[in-house]
Amino acid sequence: MQLKKPIESLSELPTMPSTIDTMAWNQTGDWRYLTPLVANKLAPCSQNCPAGIPISEYLSAVRKGHIQNGLMLLLGRNPLPGLTGRLCYHPCQTRCVRRRIDRAISVQKIERFLADLGTEVKTEKSEKIDKQVVVIGSGPLGLSCAFYLGCRGCRVVVLDPCDQAGGALVNLLPKKIEPEVLANEISRLIRLADIKLETGAVIDFDTPGELLSKTDLIILDPTGLSEDFSAPASAVAFNPFDDETVTGDILLVKLPQNLKPFKAPMIAHYIAAGRLTAQKAFDCLVMRSGQQGLAQSDLDLPRQAVNMEDIKIERFLVSGLAAEAEAKQEETWDRERALREVERCLSCGTCNLCLQCVSFCPDASIQPDEDKAAVTIDLDHCKGCGICAYECPRGVITMEEIST
Amino acid sequence: MKKIVTGNEAAALAAKLARVQMVSAYPITPQTVIVENLADIIGRGELKAKYMPVESEHSAMASCIGASMVGARAFTASSSQGLAYMHEMLHYAAGARVPVVMVNCNRALTPPWNLYCDHTDSLAQRDTGWVQYYCADVQDVLDAILIAYGVAEQALLPVMINLEGFYLTHTSEVLDVPDQKTVDIFLPPYRPSNKLDVDDPKTFGNVCGTDLFSSIKYKRHCDTLSLERLWDQTAAKFHRHFNRLHSVVEAYQTEDADVCIIGIGTATGAMRLAVDRLRKEGLKAGSLRLAMIRPFPIEGFKKAVINAGHVIVIDRDVSFGAEGIVAQEVKAALFDRHGEVKLTGFIAGVGGNDISVETIVPLVRQAISGDGTAVAAGTTLWAEVLP
Repeated sequence: MQLKKPIESLSELPTMPSTIDTMAWNQTGDWRYLTPLVANKLAPCSQNCPAGIPISEYLSAVRKGHIQNGLMLLLGRNPLPGLTGRLCYHPCQTRCVRRRIDRAISVQKIERFLADLGTEVKTEKSEKIDKQVVVIGSGPLGLSCAFYLGCRGCRVVVLDPCDQAGGALVNLLPKKIEPEVLANEISRLIRLADIKLETGAVIDFDTPGELLSKTDLIILDPTGLSEDFSAPASAVAFNPFDDETVTGDILLVKLPQNLKPFKAPMIAHYIAAGRLTAQKAFDCLVMRSGQQGLAQSDLDLPRQAVNMEDIKIERFLVSGLAAEAEAKQEETWDRERALREVERCLSCGTCNLCLQCVSFCPDASIQPDEDKAAVTIDLDHCKGCGICAYECPRGVITMEEIST
Repeated sequence: MKKIVTGNEAAALAAKLARVQMVSAYPITPQTVIVENLADIIGRGELKAKYMPVESEHSAMASCIGASMVGARAFTASSSQGLAYMHEMLHYAAGARVPVVMVNCNRALTPPWNLYCDHTDSLAQRDTGWVQYYCADVQDVLDAILIAYGVAEQALLPVMINLEGFYLTHTSEVLDVPDQKTVDIFLPPYRPSNKLDVDDPKTFGNVCGTDLFSSIKYKRHCDTLSLERLWDQTAAKFHRHFNRLHSVVEAYQTEDADVCIIGIGTATGAMRLAVDRLRKEGLKAGSLRLAMIRPFPIEGFKKAVINAGHVIVIDRDVSFGAEGIVAQEVKAALFDRHGEVKLTGFIAGVGGNDISVETIVPLVRQAISGDGTAVAAGTTLWAEVLP
């Protein structure tokens, strides 16, 4: 920028001590040693969620009125929200940024609300691939594993030697979970993933019937089987958190020490273990048969937690169920309260153009773009003071060492 | 329209008539009534102004500076300890050349605590660069505030209008309230040519190297010096509109006076009565009220005391270890006549003691005869002290 010619006489001096023109030529950006970086990132609640649920995303969808989209985002990482809403210790809430202002978002209550709302959710019959998996045990891990395999098109049968499905969850009835809640949750899970559930099943590995002998993979669920259940000698122990590849035809899922014995508040960990088992088992089945194309249907892409094509929750939600849900919502106090709670979410990790950074920048070095879709930092003048990063309520701005 | 009001009420009324756009003040006795009245006036919607409550006098002045820099007419009022707390910002306001007008209600500084009149609070701010005006009566308060805005906005310098605590702030007198239309003609809206403006970005009060610093300060000094004339010009304009004159000096019977009694504030009224009494006794006395202390009204002063052989200054303040502050000012102004004029300085009326005719006449006699109750301390004489 062109500098004005220097002041040479008293009459040229401005009365008020000020520059006689803009100071934009003074590029103070070279004073900076830390640079503000504006980038969306995972919200602290999701970072702390054992199941990796995209909490701020589904809350955001609900806030915009897309309740069914919100429900799908939730179910994509958590097929048993009615149970986590009652049992989980909710580490998401302990990291909630809103605590700095007043109190954490009650994710637990919202989960329960959405679970109740989505009790009747259906899917259309999805296309199946030529793979069959038998999950033995219908605890949260087994159900979760079956769900994600079913969503990927496997034919899944869940066998439970007990008369009531739920595995370790059955012991929590009726004090910690109402029986109809467990029934509804399991019923929705098997319906969405098109799973067959058989209770009171006779399981005999010595004289296996047609199902057990012809299936592609058998998965033994530690949260669904009693301690005295004896696994066959050919079963291969598999820790879904550590082991990468699946070997053998019978998987005996082993849990790390902190998850043994079953602890109800850790339910999100079991759901995550089930999802990881499903993901790795599916990869193995696909690899074995050389059907690589299907691996694309991955539910677990980190930034899009659910692939809607995969779950195929019908659009009818908008018409049929939505009307029904609407009627149901209105008679309950919970809906209003849940939606009020959703409103409180700051959508951490996602810039929503609140422009707090713009108003706090002492050097006017942050401005919204012309189309007002993002903010841009004027690095020619930003001194790197870090006030924007401190003030950003959603943690989108961080100060980074960037060599220029 | 005539009203019976106190000095504080007159000050609030003046701010309203001046259509100030921003009021930011922290209450303190004896100034509180001004702030309360303005809050009422703004609250009732009679004045379209931003009323900003602040946590301190420092912030009050800081926000007035900010408001003035974006082109708003700003007003504040304080007193004593509050004014002392404002000190840093007073320098800033004058340096930034913002035409803020403030009222200071003169009150003694602590300790010991005393809520009554004393000029040390404002005279201690003498070198901040503010124009200082000392009112003599309630009408003077209202008129001086209006003149002050006119002067401040032409010179781009802040003006402090001083009211004596209780003698003026809480004493009711008849006030001739000017009508708003005439005030609007006398005092048009403030439209600065240079101001904080996002559409014309500039840096204000930025770093200035040694190359320009002297020039900037020199320019400010010259502008402040010229304010004596500017005030009188503006006061003459005010006189044309309202038929009341408020000069920087007010001389009484000085033309042929051998003895000239000098002071500031309301006591100058009593000085005039004392002159009358002394003249009856055969003494050629006169009196001079210095309405302005900064800039020192040197031209008006010299004209008034040109014939006096003995100058008596009564100070309601003290510069500890030296003498009365007004006496120092007068002494400096008389320097070119130092061989031919005698000066006697008294300290009287500090902490609220009344300076009446009965106070003044004996002091003048003591100045002339050397005989009296005031006690010598250095070059000054203290009245009203224990033996």
